[in-house]
Amino acid sequence: MQTQAMTAQEQETLFRRWLKEHLGLMLKVVRGCATAPQDQDDLFQDILLQIWSSIPSFRGEAKETTWIYRVAFNTALAWQRGERRRREKHEIFLRLDTPPQVQLSHVDSLPEQEIVERLYAAIRQLPKVDASLALMHLDGLSYQEMAEVLGISVNYIGVKLNRIRKQLADELKGAADEL
Amino acid sequence: MNFEVMQKAWQSQDPGAKVTLDINVLLREVRHNQRHFQATIFWRDVREVGAAALMAVGFLVWGRLWHWWSLYLLAFACFEVGAFFVIDRRLQRRKRPVHNDSLQDCIEASLFQINHQIWLLKNVFWWYLLPPIIGIGAVLAQTLWTARGAGPAAMIAMGAVFIITYGVTYGFVYWLNQRAVRKQLDPRRQELEALLASLT
Repeated sequence: MQTQAMTAQEQETLFRRWLKEHLGLMLKVVRGCATAPQDQDDLFQDILLQIWSSIPSFRGEAKETTWIYRVAFNTALAWQRGERRRREKHEIFLRLDTPPQVQLSHVDSLPEQEIVERLYAAIRQLPKVDASLALMHLDGLSYQEMAEVLGISVNYIGVKLNRIRKQLADELKGAADEL
Repeated sequence: MNFEVMQKAWQSQDPGAKVTLDINVLLREVRHNQRHFQATIFWRDVREVGAAALMAVGFLVWGRLWHWWSLYLLAFACFEVGAFFVIDRRLQRRKRPVHNDSLQDCIEASLFQINHQIWLLKNVFWWYLLPPIIGIGAVLAQTLWTARGAGPAAMIAMGAVFIITYGVTYGFVYWLNQRAVRKQLDPRRQELEALLASLT
């Protein structure tokens, strides 16, 4: 556990490690909250900026994933599509959105990939808090972890997840029939 | 489709595999964005407080040169507006949403901030417009008193031009602020309230 102020070098080291280990988590939040490539790029940068800024206050009391989920969801909630870009023109450091059908090299992987794409589409239709819960639930977080990220009771998480699971199943029913 | 199938498919994805990321460029960008964001906030404060301070000093100097007491009053009004900005910003800084708080805490902090913004704009007349109006009224009174030799018609005309010019300008500023509440802040507040309600 860190007790002293973090140096710039430590901040950079931790940021690099988080990017390496938790990039998938960040990108799932981005794709679950924004559709257009420009919006995804914009939101992703906002999340990275907030994560970078939050690192000096990270003391290791919360799990890294819980921390990153919190920052990512809070940023996604505050982020509004179409709002005037705060940042100056930036260098492109990220290529995010390639249509999945182009990426697929094995026909065998199509059904799972298709399910994932439809899940993203279904998640983007959900209210924001439900979308956050759906993303964490699909990632396999425990009720306790989800409660810590959202700041609500474990019991209430259970109630909400029952409804979300049903909603996702309904949304994907069509997909299952097609598959 | 049952949830386990969805979850299995979900966890089998590797979103990172689709991403080309240059971490050094990214780090440079993140640092640049943070500096840019801090600079934006800093210059916004400088602009608002600086303009009020500059006007206060300007009216003080002007008042001293012309020996007009009403300009001192106007300088004090500008100083009051600048001081209000500084004190309000300092008080609100402690209540800013922190992105690593839980979602509920962060939404509550954002809601508090939005409500405060709404309060500020709805009451813009009292803290932003009224103090200069008092100063401007005093300047008008002193101007008319100084020009009393020009006759009543000239004085009425001068007063009317003064009042209409400031009335229209102030009316427009007030309307802009109320419009911002209606078009931007109220919808955001409703959105945050709905989010909070969905959590509780």
